[in-house]
Amino acid sequence: MWLYILKRVLQGLLTVWFIATATFFAMHNVPGDPLTNDRAMTETTRANLEGKYGLDQPITTQYLIFLRNLARGDFGISFVQENREVNDIIREHFPVSAILGVLAVVFAATGGVLFGALTALYRNRLPDYLIMFLVILGISVPSFVVAALSQLSLVSLNTLVGFTVLPVAGWGTVMHMLVPALVLGLSTMAYLTRLMRSSMLEVTSSDYVRTAKSKGVPPTRIFARHQLRNAILPVVTVLGPAIAAITTGGFVVELVFAIPGLGRYFVEAVQQLDYTVIMGTTVFYGAFLVFMVILVDVVYGFIDPRVRLDS
Amino acid sequence: MKAAEDNVDSGTPLLTVENLQVEFDTYGGTVQAVRGVSFSVDQGQTLAIVGESGCGKSVTVQSIMGLIPMPPGRITAGSARLRGHEILGRSTVGGKEIRGAEIGMIFQDPMTSLNPTMTIGDQIAEPLQIHRGYSARDAFTEAIRLLELSKIPEAEKRARQYPFEFSGGMLQRAMIAMALSCKPSILIADEPTTALDVTIQAQILDLMQELQKETGMAIILITHDLGVVARMADEVAVMYAGKVVEYGSADDVFYRSAHPYTVGLKEAMPTNDPARQHELKPIDGSPPDLFAPPAGCGYCPRCPHAMQICSDRQPQGHDLHGHHSASCWLHHAQSESRPETLFFKDAH
Repeated sequence: MWLYILKRVLQGLLTVWFIATATFFAMHNVPGDPLTNDRAMTETTRANLEGKYGLDQPITTQYLIFLRNLARGDFGISFVQENREVNDIIREHFPVSAILGVLAVVFAATGGVLFGALTALYRNRLPDYLIMFLVILGISVPSFVVAALSQLSLVSLNTLVGFTVLPVAGWGTVMHMLVPALVLGLSTMAYLTRLMRSSMLEVTSSDYVRTAKSKGVPPTRIFARHQLRNAILPVVTVLGPAIAAITTGGFVVELVFAIPGLGRYFVEAVQQLDYTVIMGTTVFYGAFLVFMVILVDVVYGFIDPRVRLDS
Repeated sequence: MKAAEDNVDSGTPLLTVENLQVEFDTYGGTVQAVRGVSFSVDQGQTLAIVGESGCGKSVTVQSIMGLIPMPPGRITAGSARLRGHEILGRSTVGGKEIRGAEIGMIFQDPMTSLNPTMTIGDQIAEPLQIHRGYSARDAFTEAIRLLELSKIPEAEKRARQYPFEFSGGMLQRAMIAMALSCKPSILIADEPTTALDVTIQAQILDLMQELQKETGMAIILITHDLGVVARMADEVAVMYAGKVVEYGSADDVFYRSAHPYTVGLKEAMPTNDPARQHELKPIDGSPPDLFAPPAGCGYCPRCPHAMQICSDRQPQGHDLHGHHSASCWLHHAQSESRPETLFFKDAH
C-alpha cells in the first residue's frame, strides 16, 4: 500500500514537472510580453526592466531559473501588480476557492449518490422521470445562467420575506457560501446522478444481489450493505477530477457572486500576460488536480479491496 | 404452531410442488416459461431437474424461492408446500424465514455470485445474524467453522479474505457454507458445477453428498449434465418446454426411459464405456417458441415417433411403474406404436 502511494506521488511529480515545462514554453511563444502595454516606454527603460526581471536572458537560462525557484516553492513576483508575490496571491485567494469548491463537491457527491440511488429504486416511475428531467437541465444550462437566476430568486425571496434569508453576493459567512456552492456543484451533481443511476441498476441485477436475496437478507440491508458500496465505486473514480474541475473552474461563479477567489486572478493574469502569475497558478492548479486524483485512488483502495492488492 | 407443523410432518413429503405455472411479460409478448410443473422431494433425498437451456428449470426453483422479479414475472397457478404449508408468494413459514433459513441456494457462477466488496466470512455470517440473531462476532466464528466443514484449508485466514482472492472451486465451497449456515431443510443447487472444471466438479458434488448425509437435508439439483444426474440423483424430473415430461427414480429414468426426449438426451451424451460406445446423436431442431406454446406436445416436431395426435393435443401423464410417469401419447392405451428404444408399462 505504502509502496503504491509512493509510486503514485513520484508519477504525480513527473506530471507536475511536465505541466510546468509545457506552460513555460507555451507562455514564451505567445506574442508580446508582460512589458507590452499602453504606456509609452523608451528603449532604455524597456531594456532596464527586462534586465531587472531577467527577460533578457536566453530562454534556457530563464527556464532553469524558473525550475530552481519552482523546486523551492517560489513562484516569483507579479509583473503587473506591484510588489505582490505570486505565493501571496495564491495563499490569500486559494482558500476561498477551496472552501467554495469543497462545499460544492460535498453537495454534488451527496446529491448525486442520493438522487442516483433514488432514480434507480424508482426506475421508470414518477421520481425517476422528474429527477432525470432536472438532471438534463443541470447538465445543459451553463453555470452563469443558473448563477444569475439563483441571484434573482434570492432577491425576490428576501424582499418577499422582508429580511435577508441568504445574501445575494459577497463573501464572509457560511450563509454566503451555500448558494454559490450549490450553483457551482450543480452540473457535477447532475453528472454524478446519471452515473450513480446506471451503476445502481447494474448492481441491482447482479448475481450477488440475487444471492443476498436468496439468503433472506431484508431489502434495506441489501441496499445498504450490498448495493450501495458496489454502486458507488464508479462515482468515487470520477470524484477526483471533479473536485479539481470544480475548484479550478469556479471563476465564473466567483465573478457573478463577487467572491474573492483565485479564479479571477488567473483570468486577469492571462489577459495581461502576467507570466509569473499564470505559471504559478497553472502549476498550482495542476499539482492540486494531480494530488486529488492520487487521493481518490487511495480512497478507492479502501472501498474496493481488489484495488489494494492488484497494484 | 409447532404441534401443527409436526402433525403434517408425518407422511407428506418435505416439499411438494403442484401444477406450477409462471409467465413473464416482455416487449415481445408473454412468455409461458413454466407450464404446469409438479414434483416432490423427501428429506435426505436428491431430486435432479434435467433439461436444456430455456426449459424453465431455473425459473421453477426461483419461483419457489421467491426470486422471480414481479413484475415482469407472474405465478399464474400452482402451489409449493413445505411440510404441508404453502410457501409460494410468502417469505416465512411457521415463523421461520423461507429464504436462507428453510431453503438455501447456490448458483451457477460462484465468481459473480458473491459480493466483491465484502469478506467471505462476513457474507457467510450474514444469514446467521439475520435468521438466528447471532452477534457479529459469534456469527463470524461460526462462519469459520462452516468454512472448515466445507473443507476450505486455513479457514480462519480465508474468512478474512475477499472473493477475488479465492479460486472458482473454493468460492463454490464458500457458497455452500453460506447456503447451509442456518441448517436449511432443502438445498437448491442451480447448475452448481457448470462453471467449474471437471476435477473440481467432482469435489463439489462429493462435498454436497457428504453434507447431505450429515444434515439429512434434501437437495434439488438443476443440471443439464446427465453424468452429474447419474452420480447424485435419487429422483429425476426431465423438463422440456416448461413441462416435466418424465419423472421417476434415477434408475427408472436412466434404464427404463419412457419418453422420446429422455432417450434423445441419453443418445446425445458421450460415454467412456467401450461396450456401449455409440455415435453421438444430436436432437435436431429447437424447442418451441414459448410466446405461443404449441397446442400439442412441445417435443412433437423433433420427435422421431410423432403421431398425428401429438401435434393436436397435450399428452397426459401416464403412470408406468411406482411413481415413474411420462407425458407422451405413445403410452396411451390406444396407441399402436411401440418403439423399442422406449420402456412401456407392460414390459414389467
